[in-house]
Amino acid sequence: MAISVRNLSVDYSLPHGTAHALRDVSLEIQKGELLGLVGESGSGKSTVAFALMGLLANNAKVISGTAKIDGKSFDLTKPNATAALRGRGMAMIFQDPMLSLNPVFTVGTQLCEVLRRRSPGSDRKTRIGMAEDALDKVKLSNPQRRMGQYPHELSGGMRQRVVIAMALLSEPALLIADEPTTALDVTVEAQIMREIIGLRDRIGCAVLLITHSLGLVTEYCDKLSVLYAGERLESGTVNEVQQQPGHPYTRMLFDCEVQIDRERHADASENRFTVIAGELPDTRQRPPGCIFNGRCDVSFADCAVVDPGDYPVGNDTEHSARCLRLETP
Amino acid sequence: MDAISINNARLRFGETAALDGVSLSIPQNKCFGIVGESGSGKTTLMRAILGLQKLDQGDIRILGNPLVHSRAARKQRANFIQPIFQDPAASLSPRSRIRTLMNEVATVLKEPLATTDERLRVILNRLGLSQSVVDKYPHEISGGQARRVAIARALLMRPSILVADEPTAGLDVSVQGDLLNLLQDIRRSEKITLVVISHNLAIVRLIAENAIVMRAGKVVEGGDVGSLFRSPREAYTRELLAAWPSITQAGPPARLVDVQDHGELGL
Repeated sequence: MAISVRNLSVDYSLPHGTAHALRDVSLEIQKGELLGLVGESGSGKSTVAFALMGLLANNAKVISGTAKIDGKSFDLTKPNATAALRGRGMAMIFQDPMLSLNPVFTVGTQLCEVLRRRSPGSDRKTRIGMAEDALDKVKLSNPQRRMGQYPHELSGGMRQRVVIAMALLSEPALLIADEPTTALDVTVEAQIMREIIGLRDRIGCAVLLITHSLGLVTEYCDKLSVLYAGERLESGTVNEVQQQPGHPYTRMLFDCEVQIDRERHADASENRFTVIAGELPDTRQRPPGCIFNGRCDVSFADCAVVDPGDYPVGNDTEHSARCLRLETP
Repeated sequence: MDAISINNARLRFGETAALDGVSLSIPQNKCFGIVGESGSGKTTLMRAILGLQKLDQGDIRILGNPLVHSRAARKQRANFIQPIFQDPAASLSPRSRIRTLMNEVATVLKEPLATTDERLRVILNRLGLSQSVVDKYPHEISGGQARRVAIARALLMRPSILVADEPTAGLDVSVQGDLLNLLQDIRRSEKITLVVISHNLAIVRLIAENAIVMRAGKVVEGGDVGSLFRSPREAYTRELLAAWPSITQAGPPARLVDVQDHGELGL
């Protein structure tokens, strides 16, 4: 069963005007699939997650958008549209695990709480057993001891594992992971990604991985959507997008990524890093035409006036990008 | 003479050895990388080099002079070694305009304000910052700009050594490249020794001539970046390299990297 989000638009009212944080963003994730949502700071990736979870700030307003999760449709413009799903149909892993953990309760209490909400009829012993089992599955050593510990007694990686264990227990249809490894070391990052994939395999949920790292997406995800200033500029399978980026922004993002096997050149002037010149447009005053116009290296006259549609790229039906160059007359 | 030489630096915080016999020498006018994961001692080493952290044992020499912990020595040191901290906000006071911060340099250097201002104009230009940035408060500028301001402040002191702790942490890839290119250019034109502390192996491989890998307060291995990354001798370095999420591997979806998952260690 696919999870889908259609035409999500979100505005933030700010002191100096209204920022259009998201504009008609659509996503689709099949069951058991990992979709990587990439974008730079301010692209609106976290806003997608918050709009889905119903956790948007008070100054945010969902202008349009529907979600289909677990076979049910939700009108995201309604306040608390998905409240019933939170924790059951959807679970979220934040960058900072302490946002999901309560500092004054032990790990065990918090894990059992999830089970109590999910299956109110179960007895305490079963719940403790299941919680310990979940900790064991995410490879936390000595689960019995962990149950009695408080979050502050654990390292960052261990806390993130506890949050994944919580998600495992709630068996969501959709798991949203918002920069789950940004604060972690590379070796721990690899382990946490492995746990997220393990969780996906165990309960077969759809995973939305929000990240700024293309490396992480190409290594672990099935599909990829690129956000820029609140617009989805490209979407497709990771392999397709990587081999044949339809949007110049995607191509430039890939070029910016510093590859670990890139060797230092003896001539120092050769060791340059690729950059995308210019700055993110102000979403309060959206310029006409393509949102990426101005930073694009292949733009032409029409780009400044014509708002591009979402055009197919290559022969893959799933691969599309918003670039006028793809328009077929 | 080396820019920085460290001999058997040891420092304990309670039970933990933050620095466990670190020895290294950083040649002048080169870029030197220090890589390692959290808790490896990278930042403690930086603080020790800057004289912000006393060692239990061992000695540090900056341009041949032993590092002395006195107020006078620290002031003197500021003339040739300058830090760029990980969090630019840490070096910018939230309550004063950036101009106030820059003007302090004139006081420290006992230089006429007009001279400092003139040098600042040149530096801001060089860093691609508008002259009006000095009239702003730190919260009014972006993360990338704050890094540049921190670099501008450091350069205003005319240092011969710059120590940058995670200079690009928290920046987007497109902005990161810009900043690193700038650091490389400045290092060459100003003949500065640049020490870059980072967990980002890929960028260290590209900007540094020599690097060391640290773990648990020890230097695991070190040397010329080419051979260090091409044929690492130590298993730990190989593990770090393997764990790096790389876009070159267009493998089947959801391919798992070859990292041993031992789970978390018991506390």
